[in-house]
Amino acid sequence: MPKKKAKDRQEETEGTISRRSVLKIGAAAGAATVVAPHMLGSSKALGFQDEVVAEPTVRCVNTTPATPSPAHRPFIDNFTAPFPAIPTNLVPAPQEFQNAGAGEAPRAPHQRWAQFNPEVEYEMKARAGLHKFHADFGDTYIWGFNGKYPAPTVLNVYGHPSLVRFHNNLPATTTTFGRNEITIHLHNGHHGSESDGFAGDFFPINFWKDNLYPNCYAGLDAFGGNGDPREKMGSFWFHDHRAEFTLNNNVLGLNGMFLVYDRTDPGHELATSGSLRLPGYYGVTDFPVILVDHRFCATDPVTGRTEMVNAAGGDKFIVNGKIQPKMTVRRRKYRFRFLNTGPTQTYDISLIKPDGSVGTMTVIATDANFLEHPIPVDAGANAGNSNSTTAPIVPGAIRVSVAERFDVIIDFAAFPAGSKLYLKENRAMFVGNPSPDPLPPGLAIENVLMQFNVVNREWWFPPDTPAIPSTLCTYPPLPATDNTWEWQFVLAGGRFRVKRPFDAGLGCVFDPDHSAHCILRGTTEEWLLNNNIASGWTHPVHIHFEEFRTLKRFVNGVEVPVPPLHSGRKDVSRLEAGQGALIKMQFRDYNGRYLIHCHNMAHEDNFMMVRWDICPDAASLAACLADQQVCQLEMEAKERYREEMA
Amino acid sequence: MDRRNLLTRVFEPHPASPGTTRYTNAVLRTQDNEAVKFYDDLIRGKQCVVNFMYAECHGSCPAVTQTLKSIYRTLQDRMGKDLFFYSITIKPENDTPAALKHYATMRNADLPGWYFLTGDDYDLKTIRYRLFNMDHPGLDADEALHSGYLRIINDARNSWGMAQAFASNKNILNRISWHNPPKTYAENVIANRILQEKIMQDVKKFGYRRDV
Repeated sequence: MPKKKAKDRQEETEGTISRRSVLKIGAAAGAATVVAPHMLGSSKALGFQDEVVAEPTVRCVNTTPATPSPAHRPFIDNFTAPFPAIPTNLVPAPQEFQNAGAGEAPRAPHQRWAQFNPEVEYEMKARAGLHKFHADFGDTYIWGFNGKYPAPTVLNVYGHPSLVRFHNNLPATTTTFGRNEITIHLHNGHHGSESDGFAGDFFPINFWKDNLYPNCYAGLDAFGGNGDPREKMGSFWFHDHRAEFTLNNNVLGLNGMFLVYDRTDPGHELATSGSLRLPGYYGVTDFPVILVDHRFCATDPVTGRTEMVNAAGGDKFIVNGKIQPKMTVRRRKYRFRFLNTGPTQTYDISLIKPDGSVGTMTVIATDANFLEHPIPVDAGANAGNSNSTTAPIVPGAIRVSVAERFDVIIDFAAFPAGSKLYLKENRAMFVGNPSPDPLPPGLAIENVLMQFNVVNREWWFPPDTPAIPSTLCTYPPLPATDNTWEWQFVLAGGRFRVKRPFDAGLGCVFDPDHSAHCILRGTTEEWLLNNNIASGWTHPVHIHFEEFRTLKRFVNGVEVPVPPLHSGRKDVSRLEAGQGALIKMQFRDYNGRYLIHCHNMAHEDNFMMVRWDICPDAASLAACLADQQVCQLEMEAKERYREEMA
Repeated sequence: MDRRNLLTRVFEPHPASPGTTRYTNAVLRTQDNEAVKFYDDLIRGKQCVVNFMYAECHGSCPAVTQTLKSIYRTLQDRMGKDLFFYSITIKPENDTPAALKHYATMRNADLPGWYFLTGDDYDLKTIRYRLFNMDHPGLDADEALHSGYLRIINDARNSWGMAQAFASNKNILNRISWHNPPKTYAENVIANRILQEKIMQDVKKFGYRRDV
């Protein structure tokens, strides 16, 4: 890489929490949308330089059996939050209709444009970049938004619509397994289908597309204004959704966090009206924890680069872009927003105290939705709250399958300065070096995701927040059910399908051109999500557009009590082998094409995904039903044709 | 530069192509009894559509062949140049090159760029497993399940997709087009304009983009 800039290095070290950065972010508290560029350093350091990044050499290929990644020394790099994305003034200005002349990809006009004219604008350029996953590694070739890994975090506020212009500036040819076509999904925004990153709507290089994020609560039609504030969400993420290549492009790095605040959760800790006063300074006391695993080839002696293997899954666990980072924590409460970007594996995360016992993590939100009441998880009195309830059972762990989010509060006040705590993952990675610090009894370095070093709070660091409120929110009552439906998640004969009970055989592959289920706008449905079809696999089932409530859970067809961490609103229902869920969801405020799919990215790329439509009126619904995706009928028609020809 | 390269198209694989490690380089025989290497001659640098069939099959195979014939007509200009169909038998004990020639001729499917392939049973099973089952051994015993899917490969783009053989022709053609060689910017502008017109018609008529 040509001349590593001194300024870059300065900004990287600044990621550790210094007094300066705290004051800086504190000054922006409560006004997350007006973070000005000068508060965060030069725009160059934040990834807006458009230098050409040399493609990796082709030597880094997957081998069978896999070669271990290079060794690394634990706890060298600092754990940091990705930089906040910086708002900009887009040129040309965003508009309701596609701006073909300026190079915008085809799309339907933005729904509710007059109501949600964007107040904040961002530019995200998907492009190649270099990232250092560990101080012991060379640079690694990645694809990132604005060249950053992970992408800059978008910090938004309810009631202030934003618009992100996604440019496809990926290389025309690549030696990696990525595909230079993108369609960006905000998981799980309540917005028009044209901004939803539908899997079939990918666009090629040198085009761009505006996604309008209204930052509204669900319930616009019924409640007017900005919707029903009881539908508040927080921890969103955005990622590429290109059909068949979602895994490849996400492994290369095309994803990032997107947080939305409101008055109950304002992004600061001050005693403002309605605030729950949770740990809330982004990057200071409130951190995304973005998890992914990769495999790397040995550092190339010629280029000095440590490239990622072109494959899913790996032997290094990455936390916010770093391998086994360390974090200095003050003796107070912190909020961590776990997100598993996969691409395929499930994490069982537990907090290990200095004595080797399991510490308490208090879950406040599941998949971006506050729980009505916080749920503490540990291996003692709260062991029953762990969602690690099927093999492998990990006491006191929070199980996070791909795309699930769990916001937890960890209170370090009980630990004296000098204590070291650890986040543990149940699977082991390859480290190759011993821990520099003696580990708690029973903990192996291969299982450590990251290390916390407890220090006393300095005078300039924000003081602890009050106790976590016992009630975080109250969910609105659910309306009556208009329709019931079943989706079966089938893996047989090596094929991954989402199947309707009436589909012949194994069902159809993903068909972006036809809806598998047509829904009238404004109705409410109960869906049975069924992984009871003898597959042996876990399917994290994700439904786009709106959050659902879990009414019932099943194991091998037998109803079981809804586990505590499934009791809140969610947008991913983790179905382990034999499990099912009856969920209830509303289809309101917008029209268009949306998806339900397994979020194991290897499965969705093999078409364990179907499209469903929200139709505005009876005529549109009838048209949708007339063209509904068919498997059996088409087969019969072809059989008849064959017989006629014979 | 090799003089041949000036006369014939050169098929370059994508640098990240898994090559023979995924596709194998097994020697197969075409309906004309030519020996071909599966990766080097058939996959390397090319775009192709692969299905599995057998000549005596009276269930779905003829319907799939019919479908392929119909999309062959649409794609005729590319067939045999940079796009190929491979129909691979799952019953090599019966399907000799001659039997496949008979099958293809009977169905008017003995066409340029469309190869009916047979070979060693072990090789064919390996290819079937690699193309359709990813990493799930042992789930692949049911012969009847094989004919309903089309594997779409473009080795020049390291591209790998799937279509349902019983879907509409339009749907299959769309799935194949996802793996086509990249368009130029100007070609994309034209394609975008056509698509945008369709989108706006949909929105006017149905209230949202349907893409049907």
